[in-house]
Amino acid sequence: MKPGVWHRLDVVARGLFPAFSVFVLLLINLLPVSVPLLATASPALALMAVFYWSVNRPDLLTAVAAFLLGLLQDLLMGLPLGVSSLVLLLVQTGSASQGRFFHNKPFSVMWWGFALVAIPAFLVQWLLSSALIEAFLPIKATIISYVLTAVLFPIVAWALARAQNSLLRYV
Amino acid sequence: MAQHGGPQQRIFSPLRTALHRFAFILLIFTAFGLMLLGKADTVLIERIRAASADLVSPVMNVISRPAASINELTDKIYNLAHLYEENERLRRENQQLLAWQQAARNLSHENVRLRELARYTNPPALHLVTSRVIADMGGAYAHSVMISAGSRDGVAKGQAVISDEGLVGRVAEAGYQASRVLLITDINSRVPVIVENSRDRAFLSGDNTNRPLLTFLTADAAVAPGDRILTSGHGGAFPPGIPIGVVSSVSENAVRVAPLFRRHQLEYLRVADYGLQGILSEKRIRESQSPVNHNDTQLSPDIPMGVGVVPENAPATSNAPSNGATP
Repeated sequence: MKPGVWHRLDVVARGLFPAFSVFVLLLINLLPVSVPLLATASPALALMAVFYWSVNRPDLLTAVAAFLLGLLQDLLMGLPLGVSSLVLLLVQTGSASQGRFFHNKPFSVMWWGFALVAIPAFLVQWLLSSALIEAFLPIKATIISYVLTAVLFPIVAWALARAQNSLLRYV
Repeated sequence: MAQHGGPQQRIFSPLRTALHRFAFILLIFTAFGLMLLGKADTVLIERIRAASADLVSPVMNVISRPAASINELTDKIYNLAHLYEENERLRRENQQLLAWQQAARNLSHENVRLRELARYTNPPALHLVTSRVIADMGGAYAHSVMISAGSRDGVAKGQAVISDEGLVGRVAEAGYQASRVLLITDINSRVPVIVENSRDRAFLSGDNTNRPLLTFLTADAAVAPGDRILTSGHGGAFPPGIPIGVVSSVSENAVRVAPLFRRHQLEYLRVADYGLQGILSEKRIRESQSPVNHNDTQLSPDIPMGVGVVPENAPATSNAPSNGATP
C-alpha cells in the first residue's frame, strides 16, 4: 500500500522533531531566571540535546542541522560568530560515529560519555571565544557552566527519551 | 533502493561517505570563515543579529511571562521569610531618606536660582522607553539581555539602558521589536566614569565577572572601597551623573566595582534617549570613514574635545577646559 500525503507529511514533521527540540532548549536557555548562580553560568542545554540525538538518532539530527543550530545560538546570545557552530558540529560528528557504543548499555554509560564529550566541547568554546575576543574569559564561570551541564544532563535526556519513544518510534 | 548489497550499494556507499566527509570539512571551513567575518564586518553581522532577535522575540515574550511569575512566587516566599528584618531596614532607610529629601529640596531651589543667574541652558529633554527583559543570555561567554523594545519604539544602538538602581548597559543591536543590551559587566563594555567624591576619571571595563574593573585610573587617584562611581558623560555616549556602582575592592593592580543592579533580578529596564548622538552611532562611524575626512584618528572631528581621541589638527588650547588645566 502506498502511503498517503498526510502520512508522509506526518513522517517529515516527526523527523524534524530532534532539531526542533534543540531549538526549544536554546530558547529555554535564554529565559531570564532569578537565580543568582544561573545568571553568570548557565547549563548548555543545546549541547545536551545535540549529544543525545547524535547518539540515538544521528539520521535525524545531521551535521548541517547542528551547524545551523550553533549559528543561531551565536547570533542570539551575542557570542563570537561561528564558535558554537563549530563546537556543535564536532560534538555531532564525534558522537554520531561513536553512537553504536552506547546502544544497549545502561544510562549511566551515556551520562559518563556526555560528561567526557562536554570537556573538549567547553574547552574549544572557551579557547576560541577568548581568542576572538582577544582576552581570557573567566575560566571559573566556564567550569561552573560545565558542572551544571554535566549534572543536569539526565533531566534533559529523560525528557528527550520520553519524546523519542512517543513520537519517533516508527520514524 | 539497493538495500541488500547489490552493485549499486558498492558504488554509492563509498560515494556517500566521501560526500559526508566533504560536507563536514566544508562546514568546518564555513565556521572558521564566519569567525573571520564576525571579526571583520560588524555592521552586517549586527543587522543579522538584530533580525534574529526580532525572530525569536514574539516567542520569548510569551514564554518569559510564566517564568517571570514563577520568579515572582519564589521572591514572595523569600520576602515573607525576611519580612521583619526588611521592615527594620526600610524604617532606618526612610529616616535617612527624609533627611536627604530636605537637603535635596534646599539644593534644588538653590540650583534653580543659580541657573537663572548663570543663564544655564538645560540639557536636552529625556526620552524614556520602558521595556521588559525577555531573555537573559546568561553564561560564561557573554553578559547581555534581550528587551522587548526596538526601533519601532525609538530604541537605537548606543543608547543608555538604566534600571531603578542605575546604569545597566547600552543597546548593542536594535531590531524592529527587540534589542540586545550589552551589560556593563560584559567583556566588550567600556564606560567612561568618574569617582563621585574625588572626581577622578577612569573607564569601567567589564571582564565577564560580576565585578567590572576600573581602568585607566591615574596613579595618584584616591579611590577607596565604598566610593560611588558615576558616568562621566565623556565621549557623548551617556549623559553624566548616572550612578553605576560602588567600589568593592582596591588592590595593587585592580580596582573592582560592584554594579548597583542585580542581574538575576532585572525585569523592567528603561532605555534612555538623551538626544546625544554618541560615539557609537552608525552615522558618525560612516561619516568618519568617508574620504572627505582626512584625519588619521578615524573619528569625526565634531566629537567634543578632550573626550577620548583628540584630532591631530585640533588647536592645542581647545582641550584645556576638560582637562581642568585652565591657565
